[in-house]
Amino acid sequence: MVHALAEIRRVLQSDGVLIDLRPLEARWPVEVASAASTVEVGRLTDLPIAVADDEAATRAMQEAESHGWFVREREEIFSYVYSWDRPSEMKEFMEDEWEGIEKLEESVYQSAQSTWAVANADARVQVPVKMLITRWKKTE
Amino acid sequence: MTLQRDPQGLERRMLNRFVDFSGKHVLEVGCGEGRLTWLYADSARRVTALDPDVDALRVARTDCPVRLESRVTFTGASARHLPFPHEKFDIALLAWSL
Repeated sequence: MVHALAEIRRVLQSDGVLIDLRPLEARWPVEVASAASTVEVGRLTDLPIAVADDEAATRAMQEAESHGWFVREREEIFSYVYSWDRPSEMKEFMEDEWEGIEKLEESVYQSAQSTWAVANADARVQVPVKMLITRWKKTE
Repeated sequence: MTLQRDPQGLERRMLNRFVDFSGKHVLEVGCGEGRLTWLYADSARRVTALDPDVDALRVARTDCPVRLESRVTFTGASARHLPFPHEKFDIALLAWSL
């Protein structure tokens, strides 16, 4: 990862900007949301590979910063929401797309199903993913 | 399946709040199927989007809107060895890829 950052620095102009946009592993909540309310029914389990990747990315940026390659100018956290009509669709998506990254425990899935079943007709199930966006400026 | 991603469009808003793409040559690292590319490419002067996954790049090229075809180039490459000369880009975007 550090080598990639060195390469990016090489191809950036002298006043160039690097935007790092990525999810942070943070036991993302599972919610049942309608216009009337949002209820957290549990949290996903971060799996070791994803946590290790997350930590490695953070270390790589810290190393690039310590080398003086980039200066951090601005940073914020925001939520990137994945939303499904029903819990079964969420489960199917996670098994297909997030295998090895996040685990939906059966107890959390059951809780989502039971909460969604008695919620308002417009209720959906959602996972707000914690996102980090950082603006780095290439140093001279 | 009825998956909605980022229904409030926060990602696009955050990107535009953090950087002005207008008139800039952007290197997007880890573009995948181009989901993020379509959010900002209209503003940029030129976009070079790369990913080592050739299947994802095939989808990106197929999905590329006609209006962006002359502006966006998809390249199969890894960030460890960028096939570009020094100081070519104004902005580099690590797209969920570090």
